[in-house]
Amino acid sequence: MIRERRRLLLALTATAVVVAPLAWTWNGSRLPSTYSVMDMGYADYGGGPESMTQHDTMGRSVADLTADPSRKADVSLTLTTRKERFRLASGEGVDGYTVNGSSPGPTIRAVEGQLVEVRLVNESVPDGVTLHWHGVDVPNAEDGVAGVTQDAIRVGESHTYRFVAEQVGTYWYHSHQVSHRQVQRGLLGALVITPKHPDPMVRDEIALLHIYNGRQTVNGRQGALAPVDVPAGTRVRVRVINTDNGAASVWSSGSPYKVVAIDGYDVNAPTPLTDRVVRLTAGGRVDVEVVAPARVDLGGSGAIVIGAGAPGTRQPRQQVDLLSYGSPAALPFDPAKATRRFDYSIGRRPGFVHGRPGLWWSINGHLFPDVPMYVVEEGDVVRMTIENHSRDVHPMHLHGHHAVVLSRDGVKATGSPWWVDSLDVASGHEYEIAFLADNPGVWMDHCHNLPHASQGLVAHLMYAGITEPFRVGGQADNAPE
Amino acid sequence: MRTAFRVLMYLLAAEVLVQGMAIAYALAGMGHWVDQDGGVVDKALFDSDNPDFPGVGGFMAHGMNGTMIIPILVLLLLIVSFFAKVPGGTKTAGILVGLVVLQVFLGIFAHEVPYVIMLHVLNAFAIFSVAALTAHRMGGADRDPGGVATV
Repeated sequence: MIRERRRLLLALTATAVVVAPLAWTWNGSRLPSTYSVMDMGYADYGGGPESMTQHDTMGRSVADLTADPSRKADVSLTLTTRKERFRLASGEGVDGYTVNGSSPGPTIRAVEGQLVEVRLVNESVPDGVTLHWHGVDVPNAEDGVAGVTQDAIRVGESHTYRFVAEQVGTYWYHSHQVSHRQVQRGLLGALVITPKHPDPMVRDEIALLHIYNGRQTVNGRQGALAPVDVPAGTRVRVRVINTDNGAASVWSSGSPYKVVAIDGYDVNAPTPLTDRVVRLTAGGRVDVEVVAPARVDLGGSGAIVIGAGAPGTRQPRQQVDLLSYGSPAALPFDPAKATRRFDYSIGRRPGFVHGRPGLWWSINGHLFPDVPMYVVEEGDVVRMTIENHSRDVHPMHLHGHHAVVLSRDGVKATGSPWWVDSLDVASGHEYEIAFLADNPGVWMDHCHNLPHASQGLVAHLMYAGITEPFRVGGQADNAPE
Repeated sequence: MRTAFRVLMYLLAAEVLVQGMAIAYALAGMGHWVDQDGGVVDKALFDSDNPDFPGVGGFMAHGMNGTMIIPILVLLLLIVSFFAKVPGGTKTAGILVGLVVLQVFLGIFAHEVPYVIMLHVLNAFAIFSVAALTAHRMGGADRDPGGVATV
């Protein structure tokens, strides 16, 4: 009997040894139904002053960080979102979300310096919606992240976004409420900001890539697009927007092309490329310029045929290395005088996220929600090392800022300043980027493979002295990922 | 508990078969889609929620099964082994925990270094064999009047 008992005790102890740490980490991974992102994880000051991060009581509220409220709008439109079955431009039916009855939604065009005012009306998207202006460094209150910069707009409600279109370039907008589902199913559109004096000799085209239900489309159309009808010799700028979760391939068949802009920012002195492919980060944009007749290939999505076109060629094996493309130019700040240095190291390990067991993405060894909160002060020059050893590629997207790539795997950038808002960091690689902290608020810094974000690959950048009135969860059921 | 131990062993062996079938179906479906329907598989499609070819669910099933269900199963097996009074049961369960951890690691590592997948397949046979043989031998012991199963 005693032996039996001792045996049982031993078995129970062994069980406790296996189960207790699991139960403890499981419990730690569960989040309350309502929380502020400012309560997540731990503060990382990056070696800078450890300023008090006030809570709800003092300092400027995220909600007050808006564009000049007294200024009149130059571009004004209403976007209405619906959950419905709709037809792609090429005729296939899709169950998803539309903006003004279609997906992609209408292209928003503004001229540099204009104030854009968009009234968002949610007619029938049950989870609520928001609009995030991907790549446009808007004031924080206009960033459109549910539970961080606003409450999700429920059915029957509306919300007005206002921002000055200061950055010339190619951008896009999409919902940032339950984004891994809403973006995938079509709640998105293109946003183009053109210079005051555009080059009249260049024809402008958009190629927005999106996969609906496994159907790869360009501008909402599966299969061949109508050729761009221009005379031979015309320069054509194709603004390629990758709205999917994985990288896209862009090249030109039969004639050279130039990469003239990346993530909205012009490349300095781009050189003609032949037999090279550009890998376009998920969420990112590249503007390529070709001379008619030409053909811009978009991998599995199809091609844009310009003028008489050209026969398609296989995807080139060699990639354009943006680290050394174009010519150097002066930066608006000096990365050598950095005041904060952060690490954003992405791994993968077993554990629990939202109480679910699995292999999850980690940031600096920690699982969501115990991730770093990067704290800066306005005016800081910030250097961030993004390192990935998770065995999968991650298109990292920092809201509200453009960062310049300083180096990859220790090799310094030698080309044009490479400005990014969406940067593909492959496993086994390390990028160092730098940015100026010039846009106060609370900003997401996450993987734009949106299911990865919903699996916890999300951190935030916050400015000292900012208060956060919004909550994830809560009455509006805010769920930004 | 002894029966639970044996059933879990068989379940684990069955899960290895399910894993093999799921991934083979997925690859065959993708091959068919490319070959017969002219589909193009690229990174963007791979990372979209719902590529539209038969068998695509096999990729998801393989991943979910391999990173969640099988690890839970093998931990349950370890816990049950503490109580089951199977000679060498805890040792075998411990070995299986180790093999499953190795298996998950090999599966993920193979994304980066493709030939590692061959070791992943070999290890799958190892897990299957240990689990199935252990369960099978226990059956033999039950039938044997001189076996350890008498209470």
